Amino acid sequence: MGHDIESVWRRLLNGESGISRTSLFDASTFPTSISAEVKDFRLSEHIASLDQHAGSGRNTQFALAAAAQAWKSAGLDNAKLDLDRVGIYLGSGEGPLDFGAYTTAALAAWQAEANSLNSVKWAQTAFELMNVTRELEQEPNMPLSHLALLTGARGPAFNCLTACAASTQAIGEAMEILREGRADVMIGGGAHSMIHPLGVTGFNRLTALSTMNDDPPRASRPFDAQRGGFVLGEGAGMMILETLEHAQRRNARILAEVVGYGSTADAFRITDQHPEGEGAIVAMTEALHDADLAPADIHYINAHGTGTRENDGNETVAIKAVFGQHAKNVPVSSIKSMMGHLIAAAGAVELITCVLAIRDQVLPPTMNLHNPDPECDLDYVPNEARRARCDVAMSNSFGFGGQNDTIIVRRFVS
Amino acid sequence: MRRVVITGIGVVSPVGIGAKAFWQNLLAGQVGVRRIQLFDPSGFPSQVAGEVPAYKIGDFVPKSYRKATKVMAKDIELAVVAADDAFKDSGLQSKAYTESPTFDSKRFGCNIGAGLLSAELNELTAAMHTARDGNKLDLEKWGREGMSQLTPLWLLKYLPNMLACHVTIIHELKGPSNTITCADASSHLAIGEAFRTIQRGDADLAICGGAESKVNPMGLVRQCLLKRTSNTKNDTPAEAVRPFDADATGLAIGEGGGLLILEEYERAKSRGAKIYAELAGFGASQDTHKITDPDPTGHSYAQAIKKALADAGVGAGEIGCLVPHGLGIAAFDRAELAGLRVALGGALERIPFAPVKAQIGNLAAGCGVDAAAAVLALQTGQIPPAINTRKPIDGVNLNVAGESRSAAVNVSVSTVYSLGGQNAALVFRKV
Repeated sequence: MGHDIESVWRRLLNGESGISRTSLFDASTFPTSISAEVKDFRLSEHIASLDQHAGSGRNTQFALAAAAQAWKSAGLDNAKLDLDRVGIYLGSGEGPLDFGAYTTAALAAWQAEANSLNSVKWAQTAFELMNVTRELEQEPNMPLSHLALLTGARGPAFNCLTACAASTQAIGEAMEILREGRADVMIGGGAHSMIHPLGVTGFNRLTALSTMNDDPPRASRPFDAQRGGFVLGEGAGMMILETLEHAQRRNARILAEVVGYGSTADAFRITDQHPEGEGAIVAMTEALHDADLAPADIHYINAHGTGTRENDGNETVAIKAVFGQHAKNVPVSSIKSMMGHLIAAAGAVELITCVLAIRDQVLPPTMNLHNPDPECDLDYVPNEARRARCDVAMSNSFGFGGQNDTIIVRRFVS
Repeated sequence: MRRVVITGIGVVSPVGIGAKAFWQNLLAGQVGVRRIQLFDPSGFPSQVAGEVPAYKIGDFVPKSYRKATKVMAKDIELAVVAADDAFKDSGLQSKAYTESPTFDSKRFGCNIGAGLLSAELNELTAAMHTARDGNKLDLEKWGREGMSQLTPLWLLKYLPNMLACHVTIIHELKGPSNTITCADASSHLAIGEAFRTIQRGDADLAICGGAESKVNPMGLVRQCLLKRTSNTKNDTPAEAVRPFDADATGLAIGEGGGLLILEEYERAKSRGAKIYAELAGFGASQDTHKITDPDPTGHSYAQAIKKALADAGVGAGEIGCLVPHGLGIAAFDRAELAGLRVALGGALERIPFAPVKAQIGNLAAGCGVDAAAAVLALQTGQIPPAINTRKPIDGVNLNVAGESRSAAVNVSVSTVYSLGGQNAALVFRKV
């Protein structure tokens, strides 16, 4: 959708789509040949010194670009900081595989008769073709380590990888660290790209992806009766979180307050969400409780809303269980209809849109919602952005394996 | 702030499956670093590893869950086995063992650190072989027919959060669940995070730590490319890993899992639980030196340790056993000592020092095993040996012994760092 907050936000409010034919590799015969790619991206447009980041993965480069923007817009480049008290908590995914070297090493060593790999032959080819930096940069802690180099942050540092809930969880945990007084400032967010052959293979085998290849902008259809899966996206979202005291001391511009966080496990199945949304219900309830808010206080829900048959129905059930009679009055929308599913990075980007909704008093739409599904009968802000009072917003993220995380942000009032 | 104690330990390690066997064999000086058996390592410069003895995963899950073991990568299995050991040790009856568990599942969290899981090459290559164009993968063929050779759940075998997810499903744990992926620091950061959830009241219990296996061709090739491995002791694997030794030759990759069950103190007391120790302090920090090299000043490493000691209200002089990260790579060991020196001052030479990787190798995200060793040292009053630290590096005077020894340990500490610069320290104290 774009490389900076304002252009992404503008396009989301316009209902534009970031989904098109996959260009990062030849996906023409894959069941799904569309995705939401970050296009025309150059790290040099975002950070001054590239030396320390040479050879970093696509996920790390997105992380660096987003963090540089967040750091700058928070006014931290000129702030006096105790860097031992500046931490980082990311929910970033692994870096992309060195696909050519990986597949060639494997195929060259394959012994078809024995149906097994000759590891001696494999090692020979692997040492010839594989590159130390490309291998290291696949480690999921690399975006975190690179952000530390970029910012000089030496405080508590974590990366959590709880599938599609990761960056929501990271921001929630970063907030807890600030509340406990273990840091003054935390960078929270996530970065991920799974738009590569094995990533798409994995999701296609799970039949999780939309196969509406002929009409990319309309392929992601959260809450629509004709929804058929999510569209894989990529990107990063980063936030600067800060204790109120620290922010006020340096006269920072405060965008919103993070007031509630809930995190649970379904403990149900690795493949399916709990059908009554049990874990999601508890996560939302805990977040409300943590924020000391009632359901009627919530003005907007940014849904996980993936566009899979299962998620959207279950999430609707869970929202109804938590919000009761108020459920039909709360606008709910899914920006995945436009930017696809950023997997580990999704939650952070979605929480950022909640902050922007509070800033601008406007809600992003759920696009492609034309066919009502009796299972999905809430107000999903269909097809058009909406001016609305929005002082308190909730963001949901749910991950494979039953990870549920909810965060609530509120307009800051001193 | 609520107090948190350890009431269960689960270990799968190269010197034994089960915390009891692990501890007995570690104290006896047994070495789990041997020539690699899981694949033919002769094409690699480093051919030794800490491999876990053979086991049957079906023995560690309820009968009804055996089918699901087919979608478990080795890393996931190790976590599941360690979790079974920890639960059986704790006296807590989970859904895996009874229809009426002895705890409220919503108040039981799970935080298991994980690494970068490697896809099984045999399974994946068998599928890719059907779409090959010489030694290249033909993506058109792969998309059309090749990929359908893979089991539909293939991706779920390798998602890092599946370690925690399988454990939460098997034992029905519905509280806060997290997966920390910070390489060698994962387990300790996960334990620290779980500690905080109980302290602040978001949970009453948690199973936490980590598991990983790097004993596969991808795991090994990466460490070899990074020039971290021991390549000169392939014929004498027991001497390969030499933490803080002047003749250090590099690390041995390994596999294993170490999990602790944390419990709010009053709850543990009222059920009459066996209490190993109090988890008294946690500290975390980040280096900003260079991703592939350690910070020679040890600044941030020291910060993590100082924070953990301050958190526990413990002075360096009170530490009765220290389990350092101790990879056995000279530059890293030297930087680690610099950090320990900054954090512990003159106490460094006096503290009984237990670099356990000489016997088990580097379990990476499974370094929860190292943390378990620190807890067991405190509980049993036994210090594990430092079998290969014969002549400490740079003439540093370390309190090491070639064999295990008895000592009164009121406080023990376990410290780790990752390639990438995440640091973590845990402080355990007698209740």
